Amino acid sequence: MIKFKNNYLKFIIMAETKANENKTILDGLARNPITVGILIGILAAFVQGLLISAGGPEAYGFCVACHTRDVVNDAVNSIAGTKLAIAPISLNAILPVLTVIGVLIGAFISAKVYKEFKTKTGSAISYIWYLLGGVFFMVFALFMGGCPYRVALRVGYGDVIAFIGLLAIIAGVLAGIKIATAMAEREG
Amino acid sequence: MAAAGWLSKEVAVIAVPIVTILFGILIGWLGQRSGFCSIGGFRDFFMFRHTRLLFGYLALIGGAFIGYFVFWLITPLAFEHFFWYMTSGLTPVPGAPAGLLVTGYIILAIIGGIAVGLIGVLLGGCPLRQLVMTSEGNVKALIFVVGMCIGAVVFTAWLSGWVVALLKGLGIA
Repeated sequence: MIKFKNNYLKFIIMAETKANENKTILDGLARNPITVGILIGILAAFVQGLLISAGGPEAYGFCVACHTRDVVNDAVNSIAGTKLAIAPISLNAILPVLTVIGVLIGAFISAKVYKEFKTKTGSAISYIWYLLGGVFFMVFALFMGGCPYRVALRVGYGDVIAFIGLLAIIAGVLAGIKIATAMAEREG
Repeated sequence: MAAAGWLSKEVAVIAVPIVTILFGILIGWLGQRSGFCSIGGFRDFFMFRHTRLLFGYLALIGGAFIGYFVFWLITPLAFEHFFWYMTSGLTPVPGAPAGLLVTGYIILAIIGGIAVGLIGVLLGGCPLRQLVMTSEGNVKALIFVVGMCIGAVVFTAWLSGWVVALLKGLGIA
């Protein structure tokens, strides 16, 4: 347990020192999760105002799970001629919502600009766990109606079911911490 | 009645990919700089009482509420059902499998939420963090994203229908 906690502490201290060596005011704001959160929230509302005529659902400005589903299902539909369900906004538009592709590009540019790009590999076993984790994460997130980000937007939009989902996420995190510390203890 | 946004429908259908990809690039940049992570926020708080990321996630909820509220005051038609609980009661915003009863949605939210929190903690991050780590060169995160793509197809093609049928058979949907 101590080893497991120490690993995370090291990671947090690293992030803290990174946050403190501000070079410019703008980069300082970009490194502050609070300004980032407020900005993403307001812009998600702005994007809905801009694009809602193309189709629903509401509170759909940013969601990693749903937007990935739209892109993947749209691609599979075009290639294999299937009719997998996608959100109306992606169905009506000339191309589906590309937020996820944008995130990959934006983070890659930023990592390159600030010289933080570094290839990290893992063991074959860990790849299997991450692959299964990705599959199950997506399935359960879609049952809930969105990843933690869309849940946040829906809570802001006044959706009680999403608030229940948020409480369930917290319960899941607590359970996950218990399991992770138990596993780390057994390994010593 | 279709909701009316600031762009007309003809323009909006073309603008969707352009606007969303620009929004995504900005989120990716900010996410890489700040290490923004929803599940990581809860994890750091419960393990170390460390609030940096948690306040970021709470700020996202607050920012979304402020944004929706202000823009709703300006153009109510683009935000038809704001504030959702006042206009639509206990139903969820569309996105989860359609056509269930409220009980069904609550059950799905609880099961889905617990699983999402659990997997997120064990594999070191929420989906946004995994996308950002993929772009930083982390192969494990890349595999996670590939898994998410497979999960999307598996869910829409089979699981969604099965679980809705199961819930209906049990009489709670």
